[in-house]
Amino acid sequence: MIDAHRPGVVPGFVLRPPTGSYHALNPSTKLVLAFAEAAVAFGVRGWTGPLVVIAIVIATATAARVGRSLVPFALAVIPLVASILLVNTFLFPGATDVIARIGPLAPTWTGLEAALQATLRVAAFALSVAVFALTTPTDDLLADLERRGLGRRGVFVIGAAIGMIPRMVERASEITDSQRARGLDTEGSRWRRIRGVVPLAAPMIIGALSEVEERTMALEARAFSAPGRRTILRPLPDSAWQRIVRWVAGLGAIILVAASVAGLLPVP
Amino acid sequence: MRDARYAYAGTSRQVLAGVDLDVEAGRVVAVVGPNEAGKSTLCLVAAGLAPIAIGGRLEGSVLLGGDETAGLAAYQAAQRCGILFQNPATQLSGTTSTVWEEIAFGPRNLGLDIGAIVERVEGAMATLDIAGLADRDPQRLSGGQAQLVALASVLALRPSLLVLDEPTSQLDPAGTRLVGDALGRFAADNGTAVLLVEHKTGLVARIADEVAVLVGGRIVEHGPTAEILGDPALAEHGVDPPPAVRIERAVAAAGRSGDLAGLDLAALEVDPIAGAPRPTGAPLPTGARA
Amino acid sequence: MSEPAILVENVAFDYPRGVRALDGIDLRIDGGERVVVVGQNGSGKSTLVRQFNGLLRPTAGSVSINGRPIGRRHVADLAREVGLAFQNPDRQIFAGTVRAEVAFGPRNLGLGETERDAAVERALATVGLAGDEATNPYDLGFSRRKLLALASILAMDTPIVILDEPTTGQDARGIERVQRIVADLSAAGRTVIAVSHDMRFVAESFERVVVMRAGRIVLDGTPAGAFAEAAWPTLASTYLEPPLAARVGARLGLGATPTEAALVGALTARATAGR
Repeated sequence: MIDAHRPGVVPGFVLRPPTGSYHALNPSTKLVLAFAEAAVAFGVRGWTGPLVVIAIVIATATAARVGRSLVPFALAVIPLVASILLVNTFLFPGATDVIARIGPLAPTWTGLEAALQATLRVAAFALSVAVFALTTPTDDLLADLERRGLGRRGVFVIGAAIGMIPRMVERASEITDSQRARGLDTEGSRWRRIRGVVPLAAPMIIGALSEVEERTMALEARAFSAPGRRTILRPLPDSAWQRIVRWVAGLGAIILVAASVAGLLPVP
Repeated sequence: MRDARYAYAGTSRQVLAGVDLDVEAGRVVAVVGPNEAGKSTLCLVAAGLAPIAIGGRLEGSVLLGGDETAGLAAYQAAQRCGILFQNPATQLSGTTSTVWEEIAFGPRNLGLDIGAIVERVEGAMATLDIAGLADRDPQRLSGGQAQLVALASVLALRPSLLVLDEPTSQLDPAGTRLVGDALGRFAADNGTAVLLVEHKTGLVARIADEVAVLVGGRIVEHGPTAEILGDPALAEHGVDPPPAVRIERAVAAAGRSGDLAGLDLAALEVDPIAGAPRPTGAPLPTGARA
Repeated sequence: MSEPAILVENVAFDYPRGVRALDGIDLRIDGGERVVVVGQNGSGKSTLVRQFNGLLRPTAGSVSINGRPIGRRHVADLAREVGLAFQNPDRQIFAGTVRAEVAFGPRNLGLGETERDAAVERALATVGLAGDEATNPYDLGFSRRKLLALASILAMDTPIVILDEPTTGQDARGIERVQRIVADLSAAGRTVIAVSHDMRFVAESFERVVVMRAGRIVLDGTPAGAFAEAAWPTLASTYLEPPLAARVGARLGLGATPTEAALVGALTARATAGR
């Protein structure tokens, strides 16, 4: 049961007002900031780039009160980080400053340094993406992109593609069940399983195509191809200073990366 | 429609072979017939989707609100005629997180201002009595509920004609009851013209004013509901008469008609069972299948 | 007493996300019975019948087919004994011709060419698609595709045949044909199990009705028993309603009359007795 809302206005559960000042920033601003952070994290050589980005990201996250939610993202990165550490420390090409010899293995300081740097870059990137994801609902981002010219079709395709996955999975599993019930062996030898490709793939494809036709008709029946711009239910405020921030962050990141690549950036 | 003939794109067979049919404001016209008679095609042609959205060859005249459908753009046809299909899942946009936004999808597409959108969404929800679903996730509704949301999202465009292509055929009994009751109320209260294609002749008997029988792309019978559904020749067209009619006939054949005197079979059919829960039930648990 | 065709003993089934779809199911179906399982979506009826051919395995309890527990037998192996015709034909049709589609099952079972052709012809004749062997399945309308899907199971000649919502999407002729097929299968000694929410089909074609709600069996009896007035509250609790014939019979005080034929019979009997 919905909590009583006043008739005549867009209800609160549709407006979903932002829950903080960072959240309330325009989605494009948050997107540009995330890109800039990611660019600097990967593009600026040395330790400074990633460390600065990590500091900025953690500060932002704390201010936006999503700090604790970063933990799952950080944990998700661990397998990748572990492999980077191992590969670089033990197998860095051309390194000779060995830390210790452990049987046939020869970890090197150079390798370790490279590994740690790479780890910081990955962490910086992951955390900046995480902060973006945690403070920007997909709906808002798509609505903003639509306003800026992506158009209703582009937005629909993205939104519908995301939603399509569970349906596809469910359809695939029902098709598999149907064919197994007719004796298709999905539990036996590899050869027998290969023979199952057509009976499994064909209904999937046919079904997807016919669903496209039905969906198109349903969309047309809801005036999807009407001209002009769609009404926006949730205002996404933008401001002059946010525009300035976007330009500064964007250009700044590009300049920093270019300078670093050209060797003109004297930072550790 | 006058002498409407239609063939799908890339085929030569005329699925509709000359249909004359009028649906007037406030009337519910039901179309029955065997499968593959062209009933779904009739719906698409009536709504203008054929040929506007799916191509194909249309001959004859199909007027929606006075204008030939062939000359309309899809979004214009959508505002004159709403259409509901059998499968609720493919009619939900899949891009909204609440029912309210799903119903607002159409009005938003037209670029209406916020006040008008709110009015239309609330109006559509009130008409179908689904205001209680407003904040729910459209993908987590029962079949009947989803079908009502799809219907509301079409009604939000305020069409003057509503076409329903077997709206209950993929629903379970609870969903059928939910949608059938909503349609009954809608038909009674509204000035909208309704074209309903249905197999469940019991439902047709309850809500339709007229019935047309479509066989092989042509209308072979058309008249008031009771007359057409009571016609013994109906079965020859591959259509099952409503349960009430079947029982009356079977009893009459055994010479016991008097025993049914005073019984309103049609009313008895939908008599609520004491203690039956209302079918606007809780959502299905995730992962559950029937 | 011979082994039951299907024996379900204290079966529970939980979906991976923890939803309990079946709870303490005990069911015995003997060879040759015609049983239909009814209940609203979510009651567990489709989950239950998928336990019979191994598509789903019980989380607890056991299922035995013809006296043998299913254990770890592959679905493809159980398909020799249990045929399951699904509700949506478009989720299985993949071949370019009707004939190839129907031959898929028998081919998987390893039938030789002559046997296979004979099985396909018989199955097509049974569902009324005999003249359409070379037709593309998608040139058939939906209801005939559904009959095609049914034929593809019939061609496997399994002793147990399960039909999942066979009448949904069918017109009057299609429903009649399904009813005839059920009767013919039963006459040939096969065990027929269906899942359906068409109450008239349930009352007319089956001798046993199993009503499910929330993963449990709440009623198991003849159609007369299941649609008798005393059972209506149980039916209503799972959003089912008795067919009109049963309501009329109850209103006229005739006892249980689940079908038109029963109603007419009861009226005639009462009139004769009254004389």
